[in-house]
Amino acid sequence: MSALLETNELTVSYGGLHANSNVNIKAEKGKLTGLIGPNGAGKTTFIDAITGFTDVSSGRAEFNGNDLAGVPPSDRAKRGLVRTFQSLELFEDLTVWDNLIVMAEETKWWSFLADIVKPNRVLGIEEQAEWALNLLGLGEHRDKLTLDLSHGQRKLVSVARALAAKPSMLLLDEPAAGLDTVESQQLGKHLREILKQDISIFLIDHDMGLVLSVCDYIYVLDFGKIIAEGTPEEVRNNPEVKRAYLGETAGEMQAEEGVAAARSLSGEG
Amino acid sequence: MKEAIAYSIMGLGAGGFYALMAMGIVVAYKGSGVINFSHGAIAMYVAFQFYNLRNEGVFRLPWFDILPTSWLNIPVRFNLTDGQPMNFWLCVLLALLTSVLIGALIHYLVFKPLRNAAPLGKVIGAIGVMTYFLGVASLQFGSTIPNPEAVLFKDVLFKNFLGLGLPVSVEALGLAASAIIVGAVLWAIFRYTRTGLATRAAAGNEKGAVLLGYSPDKLALFNWVLAALLAGLAGILAGTVTGSLSVGKFTALIVPALGAALIGSMSSIPLAIGGALLIGALQTFTSTWMVGESWFPSWLQSGARDAIPLIIIVAVLFLKGKSLPIRGNIEEKRLPLAPYPKRVGKYVAIFVPLGFLFAAGLPGDFLWAGLTGNWGFSFTASLVAAMFGLSFIILAGYVGQISLVQISLAGTAAFITARFVADKGPTAESPFAVGGPHWPWPLASLMGIIAAVVVGLIVAIPALRIRGVQLAVVTIAASISMWTLFFDNPSATKLQGGSAYEFGTPHFLGVDIGSTSSSGLTDNPKYTLFCLVVLAGLCVVVANLRRGSTGRRFLAVRANERAAASAGVNVPKTKILAFGIASAVAGVAGVMTAYQTASTAATNWEYGIGLSALAFCYLGGITSINGAILGGMIAGGGIVNTFGSFHSPGLYSYTAILGGLGIVLTAIIHPAGQASIFQPLMRHFGSWLLTARGKEWGAVLKRLWPFLLGGGIWGAIGINPWRTDSWNRGWAIVLGIFLVLFVRNIVIQVKAVKAAKALPDTKSLQEVTA
Repeated sequence: MSALLETNELTVSYGGLHANSNVNIKAEKGKLTGLIGPNGAGKTTFIDAITGFTDVSSGRAEFNGNDLAGVPPSDRAKRGLVRTFQSLELFEDLTVWDNLIVMAEETKWWSFLADIVKPNRVLGIEEQAEWALNLLGLGEHRDKLTLDLSHGQRKLVSVARALAAKPSMLLLDEPAAGLDTVESQQLGKHLREILKQDISIFLIDHDMGLVLSVCDYIYVLDFGKIIAEGTPEEVRNNPEVKRAYLGETAGEMQAEEGVAAARSLSGEG
Repeated sequence: MKEAIAYSIMGLGAGGFYALMAMGIVVAYKGSGVINFSHGAIAMYVAFQFYNLRNEGVFRLPWFDILPTSWLNIPVRFNLTDGQPMNFWLCVLLALLTSVLIGALIHYLVFKPLRNAAPLGKVIGAIGVMTYFLGVASLQFGSTIPNPEAVLFKDVLFKNFLGLGLPVSVEALGLAASAIIVGAVLWAIFRYTRTGLATRAAAGNEKGAVLLGYSPDKLALFNWVLAALLAGLAGILAGTVTGSLSVGKFTALIVPALGAALIGSMSSIPLAIGGALLIGALQTFTSTWMVGESWFPSWLQSGARDAIPLIIIVAVLFLKGKSLPIRGNIEEKRLPLAPYPKRVGKYVAIFVPLGFLFAAGLPGDFLWAGLTGNWGFSFTASLVAAMFGLSFIILAGYVGQISLVQISLAGTAAFITARFVADKGPTAESPFAVGGPHWPWPLASLMGIIAAVVVGLIVAIPALRIRGVQLAVVTIAASISMWTLFFDNPSATKLQGGSAYEFGTPHFLGVDIGSTSSSGLTDNPKYTLFCLVVLAGLCVVVANLRRGSTGRRFLAVRANERAAASAGVNVPKTKILAFGIASAVAGVAGVMTAYQTASTAATNWEYGIGLSALAFCYLGGITSINGAILGGMIAGGGIVNTFGSFHSPGLYSYTAILGGLGIVLTAIIHPAGQASIFQPLMRHFGSWLLTARGKEWGAVLKRLWPFLLGGGIWGAIGINPWRTDSWNRGWAIVLGIFLVLFVRNIVIQVKAVKAAKALPDTKSLQEVTA
């Protein structure tokens, strides 16, 4: 199977500092690929580089076989490469529903003229938005302003917003940050659900439990370099990962947590 | 070549003045993160103060007597020497004390309360201060344009400076030298004193400075006083270098000073001084030497001087806009929410006929026969001001782009329309009339609006790289430069000696809808109706934009440009679209303004007018359509203003002051504007009018009859028995009732807000007010 998203020796430097150096990653179609690493490892920089929010110093990133160099962020989103932000960055003046619709709608240069005549047109994207809303259990909050939601709900809105665009790949930046264990397990279930909709996922997090339990393939980033990769089993048992990232005992504990979570998932699914 | 160098050296005088101003702007920015648009106005005020002290010993305080009594007054004017010239050093001391007072007042009354406001809120605060000082200065110093004497080295000339063959005044060199000396002192303060170091630390990281035990308030106070002192010093030392002293033109010198401050990245004092001297030298070089060259375009001659700072500002912001330091604040608030317009159709269905009734009067002259005279003017003025306000709602309210150039766009539309609609050239009656192709008015207006859109789109180009407060800097520079380059430039406009373009009478289906009535005044009610229809149309357009995909994208960009881009929204295109639409709306307002007065001249489109329009719009509510309408009602010359004039004939002259105070207060207390208070009332009233039956009318009458009766009697006696006008009695009754109900509603609203504030969560506030 060919890789949907592929980077080749991707390097991002700020002055002399290499936030990402020579990162090679392949995210397969229909799979949930994970990227883990401690704080400051360069995870968010990597997402920023792929989605066009930071300049790539050298190397290349390809999506669906096309080079992404020089493509503005909004066009990358249009091509199906959609991200969420760790800091949510919702549109606070809009209702939950409008947040989703902004993401999904196609606009033409004359859209504003059409708006003047008929602002509430049927856009043909309502179904997808509805699905995203219901998948994440946000149906009842549809017409609320995002300001009026709890942090966890806002988090879900940011994922739903990304899904409304019907992306071919969803990049999630720390979706579990600030969620408790139960919420984070629920998120894991949602992610598997999303995969069934022909949406591939690239997940960045430092919640080992979540990443080890849901991902098909995992990359480990430390100081901007990939230090290990493999299936969750391989990563869990990789001594270098344990030493560099997890630390001896805490890592064991988190890894155990991951196994338990994975069991409960497979038991239910 | 020798001449060119000599002219550049002469320009160092203006450069020195700009340097003193620029340093003040940098200091204020370091101390509080505010780009102080009011800096020029403060320098202007102190310059006038100093001039009046020196020549007639009159000392004034920067406020006005609001008390209507003749026996109790707020002290404003002190005659210290019985009209005799005063001791020079005493004048300097008093002028500098004025600066200190202004600096401290600005800190405590404006920017301390606004410390955590959204960037737009701070810009609005600075514009409020500027508008206030423009108003106070006009009130205190009137329209006098004195010629101040030199302060430094009066009448001393180098006859042949450095053998360049031209005389150079020592005053110019002295001003440049003083700027450098003051700069060195400032540099030492920021380098070696604890307060200076702490200011620099706080500018970099305010939270860090607080943790180290520095009070950001005290630092800000110190820097505001220092900044105001620098403004005052610039105003005192300006002497003959800045030419004659005029309220508007001296205040406009903020533009080159801002350019210099930007060259110094709003933080480096040496670079700011260097930039200022360079701008001064370039200006004089261009305006004296280059314009004399045969290749120089003649239409540019009068405006070349003022174009230079604009070019420099655009270039600096374009090249290093992103690297300019954005001062970190502990907490930043966002713009108020932009409400979703509901029931637009119903609103139009109710209020347009009401407006018709109000403006056109009832058949058979029952109570009144339509608006004429003052009320006619003011109602029309309010409608037009509301149209203009809508362009701010789109740009600033929906997309978060602070553009201060809208007045110039409106003016462009008016001027271009005038050129197309004009017929024959000068006649015996109007010797200054400009000829033209005499197109029909709708077509000519369309050309004007298209011209406004084209100019607006050009202004939008820098907005793609420049955002927030920096855009305000570019656009105010553009507005001021466009005035000298285009509006006030006879070779571009063909208007001689400040004359105006004449507009013919527009006809619609054979009906005369021009503003000139049979009495020869511009109070034709049919024109008012025309305005009402146009305004209603614009409101529907803006409401529909807000409700549709365009509005969603606008608000997405306003909320967060990064997230909008990640959502597939093309941010640059969206901004360009907003600029285009807002320019078109401003263009419509410009054309309607021109038709309203049946003529248009350069003085109609000065930057100050645009600033107070923005001020009143902000006061009304910058994020909602109702805000624009309310802003139009309270704008200068609008109905509220005219109502006030019946009580005190001089209220017109307080428009700028009250507007300035009003926006500062609004920015501090209630950034969402007054519209959010009035909205529930209007909605309630509107739907009630549609649905109420006989029984309900009866119930309301039962509840309100004391107010109706009281108001009616009050009106019948005469709202103000001492008034001097002679308007219809029937009108007075209606007005009296309206006023009583209006006051009653305000009392109720205030009570509701207070009750809501007493509750723990903010959600209930919305519920109560909704």
